[in-house]
Amino acid sequence: MLDFFTIFSKGGLVLWCFQGVRGPASAATAPVNALIRSVLLQERGGNNSFTHEALTLKYKLDNQFELVFVVGFQKILTLTYVDKLIDDVHKEFRDKYRNEFQQKGALGILNGTFDFKDDFLRLLREAEESSKVRAPTVMKTFEQSVKSQKTVKCMIETRGEKPKEKVKNKKNKGSKKEGNEAVTASNKTAPGEKQSSAAGDKEELTKDEILQKNREEFFKRHMKAGEKSSKSPKPDAQKEKGKKPRVWDLGNSNAKVLDYSNSTTNGNSEASPMEDFDPDMALRDRNREPGRLYDLEYESDEEAEEEKIIQNASKPSTKKGGLGGMFGMLKGLVGSKSLTRQDMDPVLEKMKDHLIAKNVAAEIAVQLCESVAKKLEGKVMGTFTTVTSTVKQALQEALVQILQPQRRVDVLRDVMDAQRHRRPYVVTFCGVNGVGKSTNLAKISFWLIENGFSVLIAACDTFRAGAVEQLRTHTRRLNALHPPESHGGRTMVQLYEKGYGKDAAGIAMEAISYARNQGFDVVLVDTAGRMQDNAPLMTALAKLIAVNAPDLVLFVGEALVGNEAVDQLVKFNKALADHSMAQTPRLIDGIVLTKFDTIDDKVGAAISMTYITSKPIVFVGTGQTYCDLRSLNAKAVVAALMKA
Amino acid sequence: MAGAVEPYLDSLRRELQSPGPASLSVLLALLVVALTFLLWRLAQGARSTRRAVLLLGLCDAGKTLLFARLLTGRYRDTQTSITDSSAVYRVSNDKGTNVTLIDLPGHESLRLQFLERFKAAARAIVFVVDSVAFQREVKDVAEFLYQVLVDSTVLKNAPALLIACNKQGIDNTLRVTRSAAPTSLDASATGGPAQLGKKGKDFDFSQLPMKVEFVECSARGSKGEEGDADFEDLEKWLAKIA
Repeated sequence: MLDFFTIFSKGGLVLWCFQGVRGPASAATAPVNALIRSVLLQERGGNNSFTHEALTLKYKLDNQFELVFVVGFQKILTLTYVDKLIDDVHKEFRDKYRNEFQQKGALGILNGTFDFKDDFLRLLREAEESSKVRAPTVMKTFEQSVKSQKTVKCMIETRGEKPKEKVKNKKNKGSKKEGNEAVTASNKTAPGEKQSSAAGDKEELTKDEILQKNREEFFKRHMKAGEKSSKSPKPDAQKEKGKKPRVWDLGNSNAKVLDYSNSTTNGNSEASPMEDFDPDMALRDRNREPGRLYDLEYESDEEAEEEKIIQNASKPSTKKGGLGGMFGMLKGLVGSKSLTRQDMDPVLEKMKDHLIAKNVAAEIAVQLCESVAKKLEGKVMGTFTTVTSTVKQALQEALVQILQPQRRVDVLRDVMDAQRHRRPYVVTFCGVNGVGKSTNLAKISFWLIENGFSVLIAACDTFRAGAVEQLRTHTRRLNALHPPESHGGRTMVQLYEKGYGKDAAGIAMEAISYARNQGFDVVLVDTAGRMQDNAPLMTALAKLIAVNAPDLVLFVGEALVGNEAVDQLVKFNKALADHSMAQTPRLIDGIVLTKFDTIDDKVGAAISMTYITSKPIVFVGTGQTYCDLRSLNAKAVVAALMKA
Repeated sequence: MAGAVEPYLDSLRRELQSPGPASLSVLLALLVVALTFLLWRLAQGARSTRRAVLLLGLCDAGKTLLFARLLTGRYRDTQTSITDSSAVYRVSNDKGTNVTLIDLPGHESLRLQFLERFKAAARAIVFVVDSVAFQREVKDVAEFLYQVLVDSTVLKNAPALLIACNKQGIDNTLRVTRSAAPTSLDASATGGPAQLGKKGKDFDFSQLPMKVEFVECSARGSKGEEGDADFEDLEKWLAKIA
């Protein structure tokens, strides 16, 4: 029934493997690698099952000896004994090969032979049998039931007997209807006796009394209905009189009057006067290296120093930590004990609340803490380390791991690549309303110009009032800062726009072909902000991306967002996946985190966004001038997050 | 001066001849302090001699298999490593010295963390490259190699660097590696803060402060699982640097 069962060390060596189904010998490697990469390394180890193509994989970690147990079976089967099997195998394997594991270094694992097949087959047989043992429950025959034990005599009511007992017996059989029947039956056998007064039971009503009660209820209901029906026609009549046609202020004028965009030819500045542009206002800091993307400065100097010291000290001696630990609780410190779930729960609760207070989305904080708990369960702590410090350390490592991207997005290198192939590099910015897409687009184009690439800005925001003018102003300013004379006579940045109300995808396509003809290096496509729930707009965005196939799709999110980040990203990705015709749909490739200067140390949005998409944060926006563009410094962010 | 010290010397001599309990305890305390000091020095010294050889590389380059082959000579199935493995390796030269082989995970989210932890103890670095997938992965290889080379600790200690082109026998791409790596390293250097090699000139491996060598090997071996691995060059290099 099982496809395979592998046991391997966290260092990568497979200790033992069992192939249940006949197939290629290495059929187990690919799904297990997928499991490792998507679950264990992305800190999604909350629940212990994972589906990959047609297989379901269940796994268990042994944190004491650094082993992983994985079992794989077909997705369509539901095997109930798998969890128990893994636990049993884990216990037995660990006990049997304890000596090999306790040797220092990997030599024990390398040299040991793990001949586990017989034990495994035995355990498998036991597990399968135990799941079969619970046979389906057989219906009891009439002879076995309780009812057959009763004699007929006890069911006959005679006068003078206590009626309470009889009614209670009948009630135990279960249905009110039966009770009523029994009541009427008992009433019939005891005619004329007012048993209600004698017994004091409410159910002992005579027929007449029941009839009267019902009659009263009937009248009450009809009275209410009459009142309601008389009330309803009145308000409708009033509404009818009040309805009047609505008049719009500008309804009679046609589209021409409403078009506020200046008619210009693309790329040339129009007749309106050039305002005085003060470069110092735009570039606050003159003595910075042009073209270089600095890292986030987040009190990083002191933090970096502290971290270096911590890292160097953690290896050679835990004595320094021990001095602090000694003055803590002395009891649990000395000796090596393994971590249990109960030990970790209070600490994890506190860490979870701390993360949520730092603006990490609630569900992500929960999942993270679960995954850290799974990773630490059963781990042996060294002397002089408290549970709190171990959990904090593990959580810190997990956070750094999340922020370090799966695939680094190096825009400059990719642009150079595209240059070599003589095609423009297309970047699309998408996001909800008001996150800073246009502002950060201008900042990124400034950075690209400083690195010597020419930029074409495509104004595909054809909805918001002033969007095109905003981009035109940015273009003018950038050209003032980097005039064509200083770059060999070519204009470094141009705007491609077609006014308002047109189709965004069409404008994008025209802009890209224009860039190819004119030899621009980069095309930055600005789209309109849209809410993730707005289905028609999401379809339009998905169409734009599917049709134009940009090289980089950047999602712009603000750092102030809290739990909304999860919803936004999930829905954006879903929309992009649903409406793309290709086999592998283009999803969000990277994240731009904006308004980072408005949060002090509540930097949890970074974690939420990277966790949901597992894509890197490419740029961080820290202000509204052109120099306020940074790259993410994972250590600084995690330090700010863990700070009490 | 001598006259002032005389009475102290006298009292000291008297104490030494007939030691009282107070002076004994003082002597014992001094001895313990001296011992601790010596031990601490030894521990530091052991750390500073850097006896580790790091196995670095991208995911699926073959580091863990190489590690297993070097230590046991046998073929083992491997999965993606999540954590490091270390073992003592007896080098096959006349002196029979020991080095600690450390196999680090190659996955993107882990590699820098583990490099941080082990770079100070590195005596030599073996950078394993998958020769079959090299053309496809050249940018990632260059990026990782760049990150390793510009690290301040690595530049300071200048451990010997060996670039091992693994999975030979399927496609001989050693020459390609040698030529393509510097140009891609140059390209990746534009984005980063530190400058590798000399400014203005194209990057070449001779500009690094450490010794760099190229070697071919195949951890799986020509006969697959049963036979031995072809990595005599690798073993010879390890013997040389030990």
